[in-house]
Amino acid sequence: MQKLPIVNDLGFYEIRMASIGGFGANVAGKILGEAGILKLGYNGSNFSSYGSEKKGSPVAAFVRFCAPDVAVRVNSPVTEPHLLVIFLESIARNPGMLSGVGPDTIVILNTGMDVDAARDFLGLAAGTLVVIDAMKIAVEEKTRVNTALLGVISQVTGFITHDAVKEIIEETFGKKYAATVPANIKTFERGTKEFTMKKFAPDGKYQPQAFSRAGQKLGYLNQPIGGVIPAAGTSMYKDLTASRSGYIPVLNRGKCTSCGECDITCPDYCFEWAGETNKKGKQEQVLQRIHYQYCKGCLRCVEMCKFEALTTHVEYEVDKHIIEKGYVNDIKETQK
Amino acid sequence: MKTETLNDTKGTAQQEIDFLSGNEMAATVVAQMNFHVMGYYPITPSTEVAEYLDEMRAEGKHQLKMIPGDGEHGAAGICYGATTAGGRVFNATSANGLLYSIEQLPVQSGTRMPMVLNLVCRSVSGPLDIRGDHSDLYSCLNLGWLVFCAKDPQSSYDLIAVATKVGEHMDVRLPSIVANDGFFTSHQKRRVLRFKNDKDLQDFIGPYKYIHSSVDPNTPATFGPYMNDPDQINNKKQLSLAMHASEAVIDNVFAEWEKLSGRKYTRLATYRMEDAEAAIMILNSAADTAMEVADRLRAQGKKVGVVYPIVLRPFPAEELRQACKGVKALLVADRADVYGANGGAMTLDAKAALKDDPDNKTVVFSRIYGLGGKDYYDLDAIEMFNLALDAADKGFAAVPYDYHGAEPGDVTYKIPAKNPPIPKEKSTPHVITVEKDEKTGQLVVKGVKQRDLTAMPQRIAPGHGACPGCGIFPNIGTFLKGIEGHVVMLWHTGCGMVVTTGYPTTSFNVTYIHNLFQNGAPTLSGALEMFKERQRRGEIPADEDITFIMVTGDGGLDIGLGPALGTAIRNHKMIILEYDNQGYMNTGHQLSFATPMGHQTSTSNVGPFETGKSFHHKDSAQLFAATHIPYVFTAAESNYKDLIRKAAKAQWYARNEGLVFGKLFSVCPLNWRHADDIGQELTQSAIDCNFFPLYEVEHGITTLNYDPAEKGQKKDITEWLGKMGKTRHLLKKENAAILDASRKEIDRRFERIKAMSQHPLL
Repeated sequence: MQKLPIVNDLGFYEIRMASIGGFGANVAGKILGEAGILKLGYNGSNFSSYGSEKKGSPVAAFVRFCAPDVAVRVNSPVTEPHLLVIFLESIARNPGMLSGVGPDTIVILNTGMDVDAARDFLGLAAGTLVVIDAMKIAVEEKTRVNTALLGVISQVTGFITHDAVKEIIEETFGKKYAATVPANIKTFERGTKEFTMKKFAPDGKYQPQAFSRAGQKLGYLNQPIGGVIPAAGTSMYKDLTASRSGYIPVLNRGKCTSCGECDITCPDYCFEWAGETNKKGKQEQVLQRIHYQYCKGCLRCVEMCKFEALTTHVEYEVDKHIIEKGYVNDIKETQK
Repeated sequence: MKTETLNDTKGTAQQEIDFLSGNEMAATVVAQMNFHVMGYYPITPSTEVAEYLDEMRAEGKHQLKMIPGDGEHGAAGICYGATTAGGRVFNATSANGLLYSIEQLPVQSGTRMPMVLNLVCRSVSGPLDIRGDHSDLYSCLNLGWLVFCAKDPQSSYDLIAVATKVGEHMDVRLPSIVANDGFFTSHQKRRVLRFKNDKDLQDFIGPYKYIHSSVDPNTPATFGPYMNDPDQINNKKQLSLAMHASEAVIDNVFAEWEKLSGRKYTRLATYRMEDAEAAIMILNSAADTAMEVADRLRAQGKKVGVVYPIVLRPFPAEELRQACKGVKALLVADRADVYGANGGAMTLDAKAALKDDPDNKTVVFSRIYGLGGKDYYDLDAIEMFNLALDAADKGFAAVPYDYHGAEPGDVTYKIPAKNPPIPKEKSTPHVITVEKDEKTGQLVVKGVKQRDLTAMPQRIAPGHGACPGCGIFPNIGTFLKGIEGHVVMLWHTGCGMVVTTGYPTTSFNVTYIHNLFQNGAPTLSGALEMFKERQRRGEIPADEDITFIMVTGDGGLDIGLGPALGTAIRNHKMIILEYDNQGYMNTGHQLSFATPMGHQTSTSNVGPFETGKSFHHKDSAQLFAATHIPYVFTAAESNYKDLIRKAAKAQWYARNEGLVFGKLFSVCPLNWRHADDIGQELTQSAIDCNFFPLYEVEHGITTLNYDPAEKGQKKDITEWLGKMGKTRHLLKKENAAILDASRKEIDRRFERIKAMSQHPLL
C-alpha cells in the first residue's frame, strides 16, 4: 500500500467533489471510497451532502482516506480539501467553491478552457490545476462526466490507482446497468489521458479563500417568525443555467405563430408573452422570448412545437448574445 | 489521531470487511437475522433501510415479509399486529414519521410486544427540515421503549442485533429503538465488519420465543383489554420493573456480543474520563468529533473527557454518577431542546442523576447545538470544551443554558419582495366563460384558447428547482390557466413543495401554505372556513372571492387519504388536485399505492425473487367519486384543452356547490427513466392504452371524455410501458403473466368507466 502523499492533522487525505444532481458526483464518491477502502486497504469514509433527490440541485460528495490503523472520528464536511473536483464549469464560481484550497491542493475542473484560462476563471490563488473537457467525452460516449473525472483522479493523486478505480466502476455499473459498463470504462480511460495539469505557486495574483461559516443574512434577530416568507415569487432571482446538460431550445420568431403550446408544456415557465396590436387592430398575445436563466434544457418545447419555431442546439455553439436576447428572427443567426 | 486495530478475528465469529453506511448496515443485520415481518413507510433519511432490504429480497438474500403501510401510523399498526402473532418484527422511520406513529408506541410497550425500530434521527417539522437532529428521538424517551444510540454504521449493526436479543429476554419483553444520526451516520459509508455467516447471528439471537400468540387457536388469549384503575398502574409498574431489569440483561448481552464480535459496548461510554476535570456529554456522531478534539486537548495537557450514552433508556444514571466523580464541569450538549426547561432532555437526565449523589459537586450546564442538521465541526467541540474548562476553573457556568451555533443575522438585511400581488383584474382576463345550461343543467365552458390564456398571470414563478422535464409544473400551471381571480394554495409535502419553497425563497406569487401530507386537505378546509366565517362577521369584505386549491402527489393521497376523504365528505368549497407520478419521488422513488403492478421502484425491485410492485394501482378518482362530491375529474397535460376546461368547471363547482377532486397524470423523467422531452407523448400513450381514462363525474354522472378505440387510437400497454426504464422488464417473455394481469385490470377498469358513462345510473 502506497503511503498517503499528504494528510491533515488528523491523518486524513480529504476529497471534496462539487456538482449538481444528475452528474454522478455521489456515485463517483462511492466508487472512490470503495476503491480506497476495499481495494487499496486504507481506512476512510464517504458521504454526500444533498437535500432532496432532484436532478439539478447542488450536491457535494466527500471522501476521506487515512492509514488502515487510524480511526475515523469526523463526520463533518471536508473544509480543506487535498483534492477538489468541480463537475461543471457553470458552478465553478459559486461562492465558497475554492474555500480551504491551498497550495498543496489539486483542483480538477471539467472545462473546455486551457489550464491558464481556467486558473483566471476560477481565481485560483495557488495549487495544482487539472483541466479536462469531461462533458465533451461524456456526450461523445453517451455517459456521464463522473467516470471521465474518475479517470483523471486515478492519475493525479499518487495513491488512488487506475486498476482499483476501474475494478469498482465495473462492479458498480455491472450490478445494475451491465450494458453501460463498456462505455463507462471507455470514458474512464479517456479521462486518464485527456487532461492537462499545471502547478501554480502563490504568486499573489488571487487571494486564497479560508473556510468560514459566518455571514448568514437571516438569523434569529431578523428571520420573520414562524419561517414565513413575506414575499412573492422570489425564486425569479435564481439562475438555473447549471441544470442544463449541453442542449438548449432556440426560438425562431420568424417561424413562430404564437400558438401557445410551448407555454403549456414548459415546466419552468421560461416563455415571456406580451399583448400586441395586430394588423387588424386587434389585441393579441405574442410570444416574445425564452428566459434562459430558468431553462433546464428539457426540450419539451421543441417536441411540442408544430412549426419548427423551436429547435434544439448544442449550447456552447450558440452565440451568448442570443441566449441573452432569448430569440432569433432567423435560425441562421445561430450559426457563428 | 486515534489508532485502531481492525482485527476481524478478535471475536469468535468470522467477519469480513466492507464499506457501508448506517442504513446499509441496519438493512444488512436485519437481513442476516432474517426477521419475519417489516411494516414500514418511507421517510428520509430512513427510507434506504427498506430500499436495501427490498433489493436484497429481490435477490433472495432473506425472506423478510415487507409491508408498505399507508403511512407511519399504519406501518406501526402492521408491526403491532405482526408482533402479537409471534414473530420478529422490524421497522425504520424518522422525524414526523415517528411522531405520526407515536400513539402506537405505548401500545407496543404497554402490551409488552418486543420489536426493533431503527430510528434514523431527523429534525421534526415544521418548517420542514430533512436533516439530522434529535428532536424525534427526544420525543420518544417516555414511551416505555428501550433506547439504544448508535454513533456510527458499525454500532448500528451491532446494536440492532443486541436490541433484538435484549428486548425478547423474558425478564424484559419490551420493544427497542436503535437510534442513529440521519445523514451523518445513515448516509456515511465507513469501513465496517460484518458477520460472514448469517447463522452466527441467528444463533446469537436464537429462535423467537413468544409468551402468547394471536394465531394459536389452541390457546385463545385477549390482547389489549379495557383496563382502568386499579389495574393500569400495576401494568405500568411492571413496565418500569422490566425497564430496570433490562440493565443487567443489556450488560450480559453486551458481554456475549463482545465475545462473538470482538467489539465492546457499555451502557454509558466514557472516553479519557479517568482524571477528567471538564467533560462533554454528547450523543451519537458528534461524540466522535468530541473524542477527536479531547485527544488534541489532552496533548496540550488539558484534563478533558467525553461521556456518551449508548443506552439512553433506561438512563445509565449510576454509571454517570461514577464517571463524574472527579469532574468539575460537565457540558451536556443536546441536539434538541426541551423548550422552556433550560436544557435538552439529556441535560435534565444528567442533572437528575447527579443530584442523587450527595457528594457530587459537578457544575452541569447545557448547550443546544446542531439543530436541523447543522454540522458539528471540531471547532464546535473546541468551543464547548473551552466553556467546560472555564466552568471547571470558575466553579460555575457563566451561561448555564444557551444555543450553540445559532446566528443573529444581519439586521439591516430584508428579504427582497420580488413580485407585487396579482390584481384580480389581471387574473380575470375574461377568456373563458362557464355557464349553466338551465335546460340540461350542465355546465357549458367556452373560450379555452391557450394563446389568449398566456395572458393569465403566473401564480407560480419560474426559478423553481424541479428536475428537467418534470410533469408537475406543466399540469398545475395549465390547470391554473383555467382558474380566474385570487387563489390560495396548499401543497402537501412532496417534490412540488420542496422545489418551490427552499428557504428563504419562494416560487409562489400567491399565498401558499404547506402542511405535512397526512393533513393538507383538512388544513385548507380550516383556512377556507375561517375565511368564510370572518367574511360572515364582516371582517373581510363580502365580495372578496378566493379559490382554495390543495395540491398533493399520489404519495400524499396514500398517507393523507383518510383526512382527504373526510374533507370531501364534509364537502367544503375547495379543490383537491392530485398529481399522480406513481411513486414517492421526493424520497427517491419508493412504491406508492398508485404505482401500477409490476413497475420497478426502489421498494419494489426487479430480481429473481421479485418483479416490481406486487399489487394493482389505487384508483383515487373512484374513491373520491364515492364521497358523492359535486365534481370529480381526471385530466392530463397532453389533452390540455380538456384540462383547462375541467379547471374552469372545477372553479365553478368550488364557488357554487362544494368540493372538487381532480387527478392529473404527471410524468417523472428521473424515476420513470425516460427522456426529458417526451412528457406529452408518454402521457398520451398512457391514455391511449386505457391506463389513464379521461373522464369526469358530475353529481354522480360519469362522462368519458376520450375513448381511444373510438378515435382509432387504441394502443396496447406495451407501447406505453416500452417507453420507460422502470417498466422495460415487463416486456420480457418471462413476465408475460404480470403483463397480462396488468392489461386485464386496466381494460376492466376502463370498460367499467365506459359503462358508467353510458348509463347515468351507474
